[in-house]
Parts: sequence; C-alpha cells; structure tokens
Amino acid sequence: MDWLKKITSERTGDFYYTGKHSSGLTVTVYPKEKNNSTYAIFGTKYGSIDNCFKTAQESEPHRVPAGIAHYLEHKMFESEDGDAFKRFAKTGASANAYTSFDMTCYLFSCTENVYESLKILLDFVQSPYFTEQTVQKEQGIIGQEIKMYDDDPQWRVLFNLLDALYQKHPVRTDIAGTVETIAKITPDLLYQCYHTFYNLNNMVLCIAGNVQPDRVAEMCDEMLKPAQPVQIDRIFEQEPDHIVKARVEQKLSVAVPLFELGFKEKVSSKRPSVKEIAETEILLEAISSNASPLFRRLLDAGLINEASFGNEYFEGPGYASVIFSGESKDPEQVAQEIKREIENVRKNGFDRRIFECAKKAVYGRNIASLNHVGSIANSLVSLAFSGRELFQYIDAVAQTDLNSVMARLENQLHSEFSSLSVIFPNQ
Amino acid sequence: MTGIEQRAVCSGVNFRSIRDDRFKTIRMSVHFLWPLAKETVSENSILPFLLSRASRKYPDFSKLNAHLAELYGAVLDANVQKLGDIQVLSVSASGIADRYSLNGESVSAELAKLLCSIIFDPPLENGLFPVQGFEQEKRQLIEMVDSEFNDKRMYAKLKCEELMCAKEPYGIGRCGTRQQIQELKREDLTQVWENLIHRAKAEIMVLGDCDPEPVYQDFYAAFQNLARTDSVDCPNQSVPSAASAAETTEKMDVVQSKLVMGFRTACAEPDAGVPAMKLFNALFGGTPSSKLFLNVREKLSLCYYCSSQFNPMKGILLVQSGVETKNIDRAKQEILNQLEEVQKGSFDENELAAAKLSLCNSYRTLSDSLDGLEAWYLSQTFRPKVKRPEEEAELVNAVTREQVIEAARKLTLDTVYRLEGSGVEA
Repeated sequence: MDWLKKITSERTGDFYYTGKHSSGLTVTVYPKEKNNSTYAIFGTKYGSIDNCFKTAQESEPHRVPAGIAHYLEHKMFESEDGDAFKRFAKTGASANAYTSFDMTCYLFSCTENVYESLKILLDFVQSPYFTEQTVQKEQGIIGQEIKMYDDDPQWRVLFNLLDALYQKHPVRTDIAGTVETIAKITPDLLYQCYHTFYNLNNMVLCIAGNVQPDRVAEMCDEMLKPAQPVQIDRIFEQEPDHIVKARVEQKLSVAVPLFELGFKEKVSSKRPSVKEIAETEILLEAISSNASPLFRRLLDAGLINEASFGNEYFEGPGYASVIFSGESKDPEQVAQEIKREIENVRKNGFDRRIFECAKKAVYGRNIASLNHVGSIANSLVSLAFSGRELFQYIDAVAQTDLNSVMARLENQLHSEFSSLSVIFPNQ
Repeated sequence: MTGIEQRAVCSGVNFRSIRDDRFKTIRMSVHFLWPLAKETVSENSILPFLLSRASRKYPDFSKLNAHLAELYGAVLDANVQKLGDIQVLSVSASGIADRYSLNGESVSAELAKLLCSIIFDPPLENGLFPVQGFEQEKRQLIEMVDSEFNDKRMYAKLKCEELMCAKEPYGIGRCGTRQQIQELKREDLTQVWENLIHRAKAEIMVLGDCDPEPVYQDFYAAFQNLARTDSVDCPNQSVPSAASAAETTEKMDVVQSKLVMGFRTACAEPDAGVPAMKLFNALFGGTPSSKLFLNVREKLSLCYYCSSQFNPMKGILLVQSGVETKNIDRAKQEILNQLEEVQKGSFDENELAAAKLSLCNSYRTLSDSLDGLEAWYLSQTFRPKVKRPEEEAELVNAVTREQVIEAARKLTLDTVYRLEGSGVEA
C-alpha cells in the first residue's frame, strides 16, 4: 500500500492517506480510531450539468436528456441478482446516494462489517444493469420525486434564481430533469453515460472512520476492475457575463415569502484556489453574519429572521455565484440593503476587529466540521473533484489577511450581475 | 465506550456529562421541562429565544454575537420541542475545544459563564425584558410557526399528530398557535421566566472535549442561589388503542399529495415492550429494506417516499407518504396490506436480522455526535433508569420474531390525514 501517502495537518493533529490505485481510482482514507461509525463514499465526477460530452476517441459529442445522471443513480441500485439495499441490509450499513450539479455519490455509514459493506459498494457501482422494464419502472418514482420538488419552495427559489442568472450553462436546469426529459431516457443512453463517466479514472473513493488503510487497499486490489485512462471533454456553450433577468417570481403555497439574491461571477477554466475560497468565506461572514451591522439593521427593521437568513458560495465547473437567502416580508428591501452594504464595504473597507472575528468564526466552523465522519468524507470528495486539499484549506483560513479579502471583493458581488428570486404566497 | 456521569444539582435538576477527546468541540445545554398546556405553551416557547439574545454583560445583540464570533464562531442556540406531553425549552452553547484556539483562550470556561448568565441574569429593565428584544423574538417566533407550513411533508405530519392527539396535551403545537404568540405581553414574561428557573425540571448536559467540573460548579452556584424547593410534575399519557379511524382531507394548491396515517401502538416508555415496537417499526417502514419501501415505493412505484416512525414517548406510529392524488387510496390500502403481512408473520429471518442490524447501527452511530448523544439522553429523562444507546441496541437484538408479530398486532389505525393537491403546477 505504498501508493497511499500520509497527509498530516499540523494545526489539528489529524491525518489521512491518499493516492491513486493501479486501477486508476483515487482513494482517500481518513482514520478515526475512537469512532464507532465509518462513512464511505464512492463518487464520480458526473452530475446534472454533464449533458453534452465526448471522449478523446469520439469525434461527435453526445447530447443526452436533462436528469439522466440522477436517473442513472437510481438505477445503479439494481443489478441482475437484486437490489443493493437488500445486500446492505445484510451488513447493517445505512446506504444512500445523491446527485448534484457536478457529481454523483454512492455512500454508506456503518458500525460493523465495514469491509463487507465496502465490498458491496465497490461491486454494485461497477455493475450496471439496465433493461427496458427496469428503466420504465423508475419513471413513476422519479416522477413523484420531481413533483415533490415542484412543491418545495426552497428548491424552486434556487432554480428560479439559477434560471435568471445563467443563459446557457446547464446549472440552470433542474437536477432531476422534468417528466418530459426523463421520458426520453433509454437503457442504451444510460449505458453510454455509465461507460463514459463511471471510469475509475474519473472517480474517487473516500472513507472516514474506524478503518485501516491497508485493509482498504487490499479491498481495492480485490474489487477494482482496471480501467483505461479516459479523457472526457465536457462541452458547455460559452456563458455570457451578464444575467438573464434581474428579478424572478413565483407563487406557491407558502406562509412567508422566500428569497434568494445571487451575484454571478466571471469564471475561468481554473477553479478558485483554497486561498480564494477561504477569502470569500471570510468576506461573506464579515458582511452578513449575525454579528454584522447589516444583519442587525435587517433584523431591527423586521426584514429577516435568524432561523432562515444565510449565505452560500455556489461554485462549480463553469459557474460561481454568491447567494444570500432567507424569508422576508419585503425581499426587495432586503436586496437593496445587502447591495448598499456591499458597496459601503467596497468603498470603506472593514474594521480590523470585524475581519478578525469573521476569520475566527470561519476557522472554528471548519475545525468543528472535522468531528463528523460524514462531513469529512463529503468534503474529501468535493475537494478531490475541484482539485483542492482539506488541510490546506484550513491553513488558508487561518492565514488569510484583510488586504487579500478586500482584493477578492474586487471580483465579487457586483450588483449589475445580480438577480433576485422570490416565492410569494399564492393566496 | 463512552461513559456518562450523572449527578443531582438540586431538587428536580440533573447534571449529565460525557468527556471525550475524540470530539473537537464541546456542547453544553440546559433543558427546562414543563407540562404542555394551552395556557402556558406560547409564553414558555418565547423564553429560550429571548434569553439567548442577550446577557447583562452583553445586553446588545450584535455585541454578544461579536463576542461569540471571537470565541471561534461559538453558537448560542435556543430550541423548543415536545417530548411526549412535555414541552422542552432548551438553551445551548457550542464551540471548539480549548486545544484548538489559536491564542490559548479557554472557549469552554467562557461559554459556561455565558450560558449561566443568559439564563439566570438576563438584562431586565425595571424588572422587564427589554422591549426591543421582546418584539423582535415575538416576530421571529411567529415567522417560525408560519414557515412550518412551507414544508408540506412536515406540515402534513404535524397536522396528523394534531388531529390524532386533539384530546391530549401532545396535540398542542410546540409553540402554540400564531394567535397566542401574537397576544403575548412583555409584562407577563418575567414571571414566566421566574417560574421556569424555580419550578421546571431541568436537565443540564455537558458533552465533548472539556472538563465538566467547573461547568458543574457554575451551575451548582446558580441553582443554589434560587433555593428551589419543589419542581412541577410532568405527566405523560398514552392512549392504548383507537376505536375507529377518523379521516380528514384538506385540499391545497400543491402538485403532490401527502398521506399520513396515525396508529396507536399500546406501547410507550417505560413499557418493556418498547424495543420490540422499535424493531417492528424498522421492519415495517423504518429502512430502505423495509416492507413499505420495498413494496409501496419500489414494487408498485407509487411514491418517492413511504416510511414509518415510532414515537416511544407517546406510543404512536405514523406512516408518511408523498403520492399522486389518484393513487392515495391505493397507497393507503397497500400500507394496510403490508401491516397485515407483518401481523400474519409473513417476514423471513433475513428481514428480521436486517431490521436489527439497521437499528443497532443507528444506536451505535449516535455516540459519534454530540447532537446525537444529547438527543438520546434527553429522551431518557423520564425513564426510571437511564440506558446508554449501546444497551438499547442489546435489548433490540434480544427481541424475538414472536414479539415483533405481537407488537404489530397491537396497532390500531386512529387517524388518516390527506393533503390533496390539484396535481398541476401553479
């Protein structure tokens, strides 16, 4: 197992092992010996945005229906000899999967039979089995899932916003697709996507918890089917800098209006570094945390509440936006106040103390996130796909200075690239 | 294995601590317990929020939060929940363990002092809570109650419980009604606060990587000052069975309909049959290998979710599902069919073993998070003897096939709630 290299964080005393297995799979093992539970994720860098692609060997790109990555995730649980949930039922592991914009993850959490559960995970994700009949059957279940999201105001307010921010990028399309697009999915299309994106060179395995790296390595030797390296071209139309519209509304069965205010950014082919991500996190904390002057003004004016107001750096391949969200009786007013505060900070900078507090708060939250094996494993997967490293990120937070945060602000949070999405009550 | 230490602070007040350096954080919380009643539910529910926004030393909301940010993003949190017929009013503080502070500050000592001061020494003005904070929290509490309507899955579940337990305290919403909150008066709240700290039962928990001793001392001194003599009685009732099932349908402008079925189980804490009922629930609808998941969702493809939860304090079991309006009756019939299957003993050893493994897995996983530990030990408050999650896992493992069948046969359908949508997008 000399292909697994130890990475240590001096700051936290934590460490993990990582490396590329001979099969092409990137493997990361984060031991937590005192833990009862172990959390494992087998993920592929393939999500809802990958609807147009080709491999180096192919001349013409494939265009596939929206929602196919998510559909594939559902169908992976079935194989010729039964359902993966049934196999996990024998080990006691709690299994699940999710599809996001840029990845699909299969996971389990367990407190015993770790290696048996790992074997099942590695096996079922490498064993596609789709027939006309099984593909057909899933349309009912996923159709109901889509309808559940149609009623979900949190979900709708986000996708309405993305649709208003992005003109071309597929991030604007619902992850599960629509009842119409999923009707076009066939076993052949599923196999085509599977064989392109479920190549081990495009995948990672991340395990955190009560596990031994050498036994994980042995299991990899036994279970992984070597794959030819694959080079996938994901084809996105050029996304213009400007937004589609500054305002979008929908009425739903809600009691209080919900809003999301997004600021679209220019992106390059290179994803932001750990340093840039740390700067943004601290910037957002300083502008709008519940210790901030902005938060206080909004609260005192009765415009937001503590339970719902928040922010997020929404960032992935070809897209990046800062999003503020919450419930408000007057979302338009909230949006104006946020924009005014941003311009105020841009002009006058931060008080040093506000900056130091924000930095400490972001640092503390990141330390706290190392408690939980699920959050560690999930972070490791998304960091691996974005070319970032966990401990470097925590160090970057601790080392960020005020000047670099102000410099970062120059490229972020510009009002002319912002949209406000609101869900109003329908009665 | 994590050890829990327990001691009494004074009449009706317990202190529990688990010290464990596998955690990088600490969490300390105080839970006040009061019998749920229409008259007191709303005035009680605003208190934890009111208390956690200011202290005498930090009377200003922004300054208090700046102080918390300086303590590496420590969090003061308030919560209201129901534990059977009891209202639980909680205030908690969490933050990183002292060994991770960048400049050698003791986060734990400061959080213990802060938690004590917000609970026992609020910044009263002329004996009253400050008007601005009161109005602020009143508005936020109303918005919190309103937003429960936004999530239809949650809304449907709460609605079914409310209908089912209309004659029990549990049928009252955790914060009461919007109207009741609207009518709260600032002048009444000092007395409500006095009542709670003097007469409520209280559970103090200190969990994670910190020495509980100084925290105990802080709280010991604070409660000694109050010279408590007695604490309020917290009864909990459970209705064993239903004579007939009441059906309620509500129409709403939503795409997907919801079906919630409430059963009585004739089995509630501290009944010895609780582990068998928990196992039955896992086998029936608690996991992705359960009867409901495999049949109602996977085989018939009727819904995206169909699952069951058992509430051991109340002895009620709810089945929840999201379905198309035209399929509600089919789903309901299939859920009842699956119950009958278990009652007839139509399940094999594999299904039973899977349910045991899955439940035991979730009990053992609890001990890996401070939130999980806190919720578990809070649920043990009214047991004659506190069990560790690992002990509960052993009891579940010892349940026999016959006991599961027996548990299933105790179920009677009490309430069916349907939230019927139009099925079309707005």
